[in-house]
Amino acid sequence: MSGSQIKSEGYSERLETVSSDILRNVRFNKGFILWMGFLILALAACLFAYYIQLRKGLGVTGLRDVTSWGMYIANFVFFVATSLVGMLISSVLGLSGAQWVKPIARIAEIIAVAFAAVAGLVIISDMGRPDRLPYVFLFGRVQSPILWDVTVVTTYFFVSLLLWFLPVIPDLAIAKTRLNGRPGILIKVYELLSLKWIHHPKQYEILRQAMRVLLILIVPLAFAIHTVTSWLFAVTPRPGWDSSIFGPYFISGAFVSGTAAVIIAMYFFRVSYKLQKYLTEDHFEKIGRVLVLVSIVYLYFNLNEFMVPGYKLKSLDAIHLKELFAGEYAPLFWGVQLLGLVIPVILLLFRRFRKPFPMLIISIAVLAAAWLKRYIIVVPPQGHPFLPVQHVPVEWVIYKPTLIETAVTFASIILVLIIVTVLSKLFPILPIWELAEDESGSDIDKTDNN
Amino acid sequence: MRRYFFGLLLIQLLIPTLSAQEWIVPADKKGKLSTFPFNDETRKAGEKLYSINCMSCHGTPGKANYLPLVPPPGDPATEKIQKNNDGEIFYKVSVGRGQMPSFRSVLTSNEIWNVVSFLRSFNTAYKQQVMPVITSSAYPGAVIGLLVSFNPADSTIILKASATSEKSSVPVADAEVKLLVKRTFGMLPVDEPQTTDKEGLATFRVPADLKGDTAGMVLVSARFTDEDVFGSAGKDTLLNAGQKVTPVSLVAQRAMWNNVRKAPVWIILAYGLGVLIAWGFILLVLMKLRDIYLVGEIVSSDKKE
Repeated sequence: MSGSQIKSEGYSERLETVSSDILRNVRFNKGFILWMGFLILALAACLFAYYIQLRKGLGVTGLRDVTSWGMYIANFVFFVATSLVGMLISSVLGLSGAQWVKPIARIAEIIAVAFAAVAGLVIISDMGRPDRLPYVFLFGRVQSPILWDVTVVTTYFFVSLLLWFLPVIPDLAIAKTRLNGRPGILIKVYELLSLKWIHHPKQYEILRQAMRVLLILIVPLAFAIHTVTSWLFAVTPRPGWDSSIFGPYFISGAFVSGTAAVIIAMYFFRVSYKLQKYLTEDHFEKIGRVLVLVSIVYLYFNLNEFMVPGYKLKSLDAIHLKELFAGEYAPLFWGVQLLGLVIPVILLLFRRFRKPFPMLIISIAVLAAAWLKRYIIVVPPQGHPFLPVQHVPVEWVIYKPTLIETAVTFASIILVLIIVTVLSKLFPILPIWELAEDESGSDIDKTDNN
Repeated sequence: MRRYFFGLLLIQLLIPTLSAQEWIVPADKKGKLSTFPFNDETRKAGEKLYSINCMSCHGTPGKANYLPLVPPPGDPATEKIQKNNDGEIFYKVSVGRGQMPSFRSVLTSNEIWNVVSFLRSFNTAYKQQVMPVITSSAYPGAVIGLLVSFNPADSTIILKASATSEKSSVPVADAEVKLLVKRTFGMLPVDEPQTTDKEGLATFRVPADLKGDTAGMVLVSARFTDEDVFGSAGKDTLLNAGQKVTPVSLVAQRAMWNNVRKAPVWIILAYGLGVLIAWGFILLVLMKLRDIYLVGEIVSSDKKE
């Protein structure tokens, strides 16, 4: 594999083809500028909502004494969940020797970096006094899952960033001589970030060692980040959160939403960057199978999560479950379980649905359902605390997100899109050096009309 | 079949009615009256007791902000509760029913009467009837008193009941007396109730593990069981009858709820090791990046030469 200076036959031709195909997209074209302009305008509008929240306090949100964790925390859990896919694709599949993940791994890492980075910011949006954020570090209690969460989110973000950056280094070295006509600053950045990469075998060897360390390190970290996030709930005595399987339940759910996010990203890069040659139907076919697998695992945890309390029916659990199954939240609950989990699994079992476009539609449904599922996990259990909340106005009991809250949540999603756009547009989206080294080169030479 | 359903329906309708039926107080308890007249002092004491023991369910009297329980606890200022006579309220607070706990062992009779006194302040139409001074047939005109002392030799508390009149003091014989000690929440009975002997004496065994304050002192309260005959004459005495206990602060030792310096060792280790290992590996990777840079620099400078 990589590292050998004696390159396989046809390497230099393949390198030329691959690099020109991929670097073609690294430019500031009209579409990019329009898209970024749109994103920044939308972000500014949403940040104005945050400014209002900052000035007037959390009272402008729907959060009150009874439901103190609403859309923000649901969004946070969703972000942490989706970021886990970096670990699944590069590490679990990559280390097990699945060669087909090579072109997808970087996309998965970009998703991981973007969602992990913004997850931390989402937490700040839920704080009434964000100026007190340093207190978490100054006076943080190691007994509180909050401190663990802040630590692990930061660490995971950093490792994901490294995991994205390391395989980019050789590409930057390849690209820096091939970026004619691009702004000088971009070439300077490439020069700086390529860390004097000269394709020396020793450099490849060090890179491979470093990658191996990261790929192993990211596994416990990814498990930690989402298990700790689940502890925020599981160690809080509430019916509906009082579960011993919350850690694995969250992690299995994370793989579902993350895989869906990667499929959506794959589709858009394939179409708008014209990468049909590299992100082939076969890749969709295979990641479609991965989505089926992780969805079935998640379905199993869902079954367990609701069956056990549903069998015992402790009084407050019964109220909670009744509300989910047949009450106020029933349309949302069954919609999410059926449209976001059961039906996608059934459809994806058929080969004809594991094609790029059908999978895009299915993945959008899965991702939207994943967001709503976090809402169902976070919000309804707070309506029935073990100790009744007293002396509060009736309108405080039922949580309804406000427009401002929704706008701030949108800001976080826009921020993710901005990070994904920057990382995918200003840097090579596929690993040039790995694809060029691929001796089989089968897919690259074939013309794919899809 | 129709009749069967009708029967079922009737039962369905009756069940809530039955559960919400009148709370009947035994006839002999209904007429019970306070032995002292209600005044500002008793109302104040009652308000304090009410806020500690009753407010969490019944809310602030007159505000109707009681807990939404089934059956509803109700606001004590309303007519529904005020139409009870003193004896009925006293009985209901003492005995309790369903979710309403019994306060017999939490509050003394006088304390319950203080609460009644406070509740009556919300009823402008209320006129108090005071129990006539007890003059037990056996001890006409005498004041009945209790005296307790601790005997460390055999760990017993000796109680002496006597009826004192202007002329003389005679022992109260054949009266059932009980002994309670004050705990954090309510009064704890010590030993079984005893009957005084001819000398008016009764002996209570003190359990060996009775905890006192730092000096071993406990507040002992002696009372007659039959308050109707002997009145609520009680005697609260501090006795050196308990173990010396030096309370340990809940934040003195390492605990989950403590601050970070006093966190359990295992959690500090788990967190610390986790952070060290993860960031150790990250540092290792950063060093490798430095190595990549150095290799590039050395090789390219070699080439230039």
